Amino acid sequence: MLRKLREDRSFQGAVLISPTLLFMIGLLIIPLLLTLVISFGSRAPDGTVIYGFSFDNYVRLSGVRTECDNGKSLCLDPIYIQILSRSLSLAFNTTVLAILMAYPLAYFIARAPARKRNTFLFLILVPMWTNFIIRVYAWMMLLRTQGVINSVIGWLAGLVGLHFTPFEMLYTQGAVLVGMVYEFLPFMILPIYTSLEKIELSLYEASADLGARPFRTFLRMTLPLSIPGVVAGTILVFVPVMGTFIVSDLLGGRQIVLVGNLIQNQFLIARDPTFGSAASLMLMTLTLIVTYFYTRKFGFGEEIVTA
Amino acid sequence: MKNSTFWKLLAAMMVFSLLLAACGGKAPAAGEAEEFVTGSGFVCPEPQPRLEVTSQEFNLFVWTEYIPVEWKECFEKVYGIKVNHDEYSSNEEMYAKLSAGATTYDLILPTDYIVSLMVGQGMLQPWDHAKLPMLANINPGYMDLPFDPGNKYTIPYMAGTDAMVYNAERVATPPTSWADLWNPDYAGRLVLLDDPRVVIGFTLLTLGYDLNTKDPAQLEEAKAKLLELIPNVKLFDSDSPKTALIAGDVDLGNVWNGEAFTAQQEDPNFEYVFPSEGTILWQDNWAIPASAPHLDAVYAWVNYIEQGEMFWMMLRDFPYTVPNAAALEYAKANQTELYDAYVNSPITNTPADVLANGFFMEDVGEATPLYDQIWTEVKGEE
Repeated sequence: MLRKLREDRSFQGAVLISPTLLFMIGLLIIPLLLTLVISFGSRAPDGTVIYGFSFDNYVRLSGVRTECDNGKSLCLDPIYIQILSRSLSLAFNTTVLAILMAYPLAYFIARAPARKRNTFLFLILVPMWTNFIIRVYAWMMLLRTQGVINSVIGWLAGLVGLHFTPFEMLYTQGAVLVGMVYEFLPFMILPIYTSLEKIELSLYEASADLGARPFRTFLRMTLPLSIPGVVAGTILVFVPVMGTFIVSDLLGGRQIVLVGNLIQNQFLIARDPTFGSAASLMLMTLTLIVTYFYTRKFGFGEEIVTA
Repeated sequence: MKNSTFWKLLAAMMVFSLLLAACGGKAPAAGEAEEFVTGSGFVCPEPQPRLEVTSQEFNLFVWTEYIPVEWKECFEKVYGIKVNHDEYSSNEEMYAKLSAGATTYDLILPTDYIVSLMVGQGMLQPWDHAKLPMLANINPGYMDLPFDPGNKYTIPYMAGTDAMVYNAERVATPPTSWADLWNPDYAGRLVLLDDPRVVIGFTLLTLGYDLNTKDPAQLEEAKAKLLELIPNVKLFDSDSPKTALIAGDVDLGNVWNGEAFTAQQEDPNFEYVFPSEGTILWQDNWAIPASAPHLDAVYAWVNYIEQGEMFWMMLRDFPYTVPNAAALEYAKANQTELYDAYVNSPITNTPADVLANGFFMEDVGEATPLYDQIWTEVKGEE
């Protein structure tokens, strides 16, 4: 045994990966298979799972109904498609905003003197020492109708004698978007920074020597070279936003339902694990498809490994 | 130079905070080791009677914002047991977690309608009334109710009403019935409990149907009606709906009575209204999950906190309706202000005609999936 361990390279490899492998099988593969099995079952009135093989949950998700109000035998109830498209557009908006905010900052850090870079990166990570949910509650204090932002604006307006009607910010889609961007911004900054930092300074010199103006240098050289970071950041932001439910629960007042909320509610409120499983699988499939086409188009960000 | 001032300041602050901490934690004086005092200065009463407990810990699984901190502290100190405290914000969530195989909980607080379901599932174990001297403290009016005849599985904890609250300063035409909530003037101004049975329930009442209907046609009608209410709803919240009311994010809504009472204490402009179609009545109850591992601690806890000199704190912290007569007597003698506020307010001391005109929820059996599906689809709409 010991001798085999000493001499057999592939056996060494197997031993080394076995903890991770067991972890992945026990906590990823098996639960996924269970989810798949449950999604074909149906629920008993008390919320327990009746195992079986029916596509009812998937039909319900698709919105195709056989009992319709207007007497027709087939109609479409787009409710779950709406929830899905709401999540997709929120994830898309979050990603775009995060790129727009992260890129200049990442560029600034990457071009800062080497000894300052670590300080800046450190500052980006500092907020993450506080539990995320507590930071979301802080956002609630800021966004309330009589919260910090509205009070400050109202005070300023009062100084110049203007009438001010407080903005309705909390419990809106906008609040959810702000919360999402806030939560996932660091995951965009870090990979973009890694890409930008790798660009040799001599390349900028060469570009300038060849007569390119800074803007052209950025468009033709910096941007293409940093695309892997943007791709990695996009995946790190888009995928979790699709599944998050706590931000929309707290900042959306539980009436902005995203796929994550839908799934969570099936398990905790609606007691329908079979429908929840079907919805989870749909979310996973959709995320996979989106990521697949995205990475096919832009290449798989190598930064996802280094980030 | 500047730098060293900074470090000196920091050192001074640390010494100061250490001093503060030292003063805060008063060491027990020798000789009076029996007297336990909580961080808030409350002197823990001696348990009557003190039970034999060998368990080292005890796992509570209860509604959010429902247990005064002193209870935990006193119980831990008096009995030397560690109290673990998990929370849920709906009966459905509690039920889902228990039926998904959570086996460590010792004591839960199910509401009336979910009790019969849990009993039917064999999820609860019966109480041994011989070990419950505290039962003498409970007003018999809250005992032997239809969801648990003879109190075999449940002991009353708190009771109350689900009705409406509004901010008189900001709502020009106050609601008087559940149907008034559909008023277009209230667009984006409502907070509702995040609770399918309550919200679908009052919608059924506006249609003149039974709160516990199992009829799919009536439920479909309620769903259509409820969809019309969604534009008025700003927020669903079962954890602390008073917060959004007090903060001015919403102006009116449907809440539990204790939340309305607290909101009114913060801001007297809040008024509680019993809707004309009938108020929803409820009662939360102590129950022991079938798999509870620390039974001795369960009996010790319930007997201890249901003592009048402990339970009065509910009047202070979570002012719902108190079934514990000993607690009210204790408050009458020792906490006059709290007692007067409790007895004189219809929010806590529910008027008899409201009780007579009110409805309890019941388990809806095979219609449960339909309620749950309606709730999912109504909330999913914009």
